[in-house]
Amino acid sequence: MTSPLLSITGINKSFPGGVIALDDVSMEFYPGEVTAILGENGAGKSTLVKILYGIYSPDKGDIFFQGKRIVIGSPIDAIKKGIVMVSQIPQLIDRLTVAENLSLSLTSVGLFESMKNVRRVFKEISDKIGIKINPDAKVWSLNYTQKQLVEIARAVLLDAKVLILDEALTYLPVEERRKFYVYLQRFKEEGRSIVLITHKIPEALEISDRIYILRRGKVVGSLVRENATLEQIRELMFGEAAKLITYERFSNPYEIQVGEPIIQVENLVVEGEYGEIAVNKVSFKARAGEIIGIAGIVGNGQRELLEALVGLRRIRSGRVIIDGVDVSNKGVGVIREKGVGFIPDQPLRYAVSAENTIVENIAALFSRQQVVINWSSMIEITNKLIKEYSIYPPNPNIHVKLLSGGNIMKVVVSRELEYATRALLAYNPTRGLDEATATFVRKKIKEKAVGDKVSIVFASEDLDEVLQLSDAVFVMNRGVLYGPFDPVSTPRSKIEELMVM
Amino acid sequence: MKYGGLIVVALSLLTGIGVFALFSWSIGINPYYVIESILTTFIFPGIVKDFLILSLLGYALLIAFKGSLWNIGAEGQMHMAIIASVYVTLILFFTTEKSLPIHVSIGVVLLSIVLATIAGALWGGLAGAIKAYTGVDEVPVTLILNYIAYFIGNILVYGPFRGKYVWGYVRTDLLPAPYKLSISVKKTITGDPIVDTLNGYLVEAIIYSSWITALIIVAIFTYWLFNKSSLGLKIKILGSNPDYLVTLGVNVKKTTVTAFMLSGAIAGLTGALYYHGALWRLEYPLEYQTMGYGYLAILVTWLSMLDMKFIPISAYIVSALIMGSQRVSSLPVVREAFAVIGLGGAEIAFRLLMFGSVLLSYSILRFIQDYEIRVVKS
Repeated sequence: MTSPLLSITGINKSFPGGVIALDDVSMEFYPGEVTAILGENGAGKSTLVKILYGIYSPDKGDIFFQGKRIVIGSPIDAIKKGIVMVSQIPQLIDRLTVAENLSLSLTSVGLFESMKNVRRVFKEISDKIGIKINPDAKVWSLNYTQKQLVEIARAVLLDAKVLILDEALTYLPVEERRKFYVYLQRFKEEGRSIVLITHKIPEALEISDRIYILRRGKVVGSLVRENATLEQIRELMFGEAAKLITYERFSNPYEIQVGEPIIQVENLVVEGEYGEIAVNKVSFKARAGEIIGIAGIVGNGQRELLEALVGLRRIRSGRVIIDGVDVSNKGVGVIREKGVGFIPDQPLRYAVSAENTIVENIAALFSRQQVVINWSSMIEITNKLIKEYSIYPPNPNIHVKLLSGGNIMKVVVSRELEYATRALLAYNPTRGLDEATATFVRKKIKEKAVGDKVSIVFASEDLDEVLQLSDAVFVMNRGVLYGPFDPVSTPRSKIEELMVM
Repeated sequence: MKYGGLIVVALSLLTGIGVFALFSWSIGINPYYVIESILTTFIFPGIVKDFLILSLLGYALLIAFKGSLWNIGAEGQMHMAIIASVYVTLILFFTTEKSLPIHVSIGVVLLSIVLATIAGALWGGLAGAIKAYTGVDEVPVTLILNYIAYFIGNILVYGPFRGKYVWGYVRTDLLPAPYKLSISVKKTITGDPIVDTLNGYLVEAIIYSSWITALIIVAIFTYWLFNKSSLGLKIKILGSNPDYLVTLGVNVKKTTVTAFMLSGAIAGLTGALYYHGALWRLEYPLEYQTMGYGYLAILVTWLSMLDMKFIPISAYIVSALIMGSQRVSSLPVVREAFAVIGLGGAEIAFRLLMFGSVLLSYSILRFIQDYEIRVVKS
């Protein structure tokens, strides 16, 4: 048997406040293999990746690379040693061309100087692994798949021995993911090793040779793919909670077609960051109690559409009508005042203030129109949400920065659902939540829509989520909205086709 | 680290005093005198005046700093306020009477304080508006506005504000006695150092009782602002994540301007109190007339780690250091030492060295603390 290319033994990492992120974790990554690391959120996956990439240093334990004990001091150090990471959000500079982006990462390790060289090398590599991208294209004009391909090309260019894919392909449709598998196959045939971090079990089963399962910072399972089943992995990942997970469709007990329209969008045109048309003549209606789900791969205008609806982004032409009032370009304050909840993309950046406590974050929304904050009622709401969503630790006065990503997301989602009396606009409402909690949150969203007659418009990269939750499904691709489709009668393949065409 | 912040403050103070002593030693002054002078200043009643003004300004800056709005302009806001007070007391209601009916005195002083507070708020608000609506960084803006305030004052003191009873000096008249806020008290000296020191503090407290009242009000207001009001919460969030305010539908520009106005208002109030209680007139050039309180207050607020409990403590420490370093620079041995090395007169600048060292070590230590810089063994 070959020896592992990269291995970690007895890794421990804890954070201030007694949070143990990793507890005696040992793993081995072999050359020519894809190793998947599965785990729910807060299981320690991201901490582990950050240790492998030199962002954190472990409290205890060793890392061995090609049989030698190494210390990874920084990402640059990791790259020099041949460990390269591709994350879910492409780490490219949108303003620059593909070649310029690549030259940046290359000069930082002191390999090439001239753009001509970069172009030539990029071409060689593209030919080798079969990527067709113009090196002079500006990155912003590429779609998500192409950007991720550039990232993988960069990894090859950097002569990566170990490629870490941190949820990099998780939200792509199966067909699109399969295209990557061809490149990954070639990559591993050269004796390199791939580490796939994901919380989606099917993705791990599709490509990996070996699967590790993390739960609460511990390795609870180490399987070879041939012997692994979805049910078994789910059990290991969630324990008891596995029973709560379901992707069965939530049906709507009401006749939504008779509800009054709350949100009406007419011929909406919105510009993106670079003056390009991000949302192109979009029209739809959302009635009271209705859930509109927008499927699509990241970067097809969903974010811009939702931002325009809530007033964050200027509308170039067309109208947004909420409760019969034209609110186009009226600003976030006016629209929120109508009882509109909003869960933005990158909620950790845009939907919480980490330096403030949970109750302060909640009061900021509910008391923003008051002069004096009624703290006792704010504490009451906070405690209610903490209990209902089992936010941990259950202390309204704890600073948000001390919560895990999943718990921060629960703070955001619960707050916005509580606030929404007429409508909720959401982007990836369950991103960062483990499957059991995500199922719970989706149920809550459904309850909110049905119970309070709230109209919900959400975009998600997770097609399963869109199909489970929506009364009407749309697909967004390059700014154009296709639909509505009936989530029950429309074949999944048709929707996936529209997503990538 | 639980007490990391306090350790940083203590270490920077020690480093500052240490560098100061070391430098003294290098030019032949016995560091013992230096350290002794500084330490004894901590129990010196003369620092009460500076302590009160710096505490008030500390709160003024705290309000802006909480919102990550680096108001370097307390100096200018204070001066614009003093100009307003001078206008009320020396132009509008000037009097040569030794005393006036009490309601007239109170009315004029209140009017002067209110207008000064408004002037400070507007000067602060101007900086806030420039920051909010044009995106220019507030640090250079407030700094430039300080000089504009000085020069406006200088022009006025040369022209319309120049006094009638000034014998050719370029300055305003003295504040009429009925408008003075300080209470004059006779000091009795017993000879017992402990009794005299305590007595000294009491006398100072009586002289500046109006300032103490204002300080209590300002401290309560600051507490209310940051613990009870929605505006205070918005300022705190502005300081940590303005993007969140935007998605909440809060007007970030308005919040920025309001925070600056509050900060400027308290600086303005402080200016009026300082004028009515101790300054009593403006004199050309303005920039050399006051102690540079507005700048020292930045140090006060930084050392407080933006915690309102620590503002008075850090104001006390800074006041002691100012007074201590002044005492050191005026020691005959120090003057001689400077004269010997051919830098006679440089002792005035000498004390700035200590402030510089305190600030520098504070910045370095905070940087290390904030970014959790550690040495990784390989």
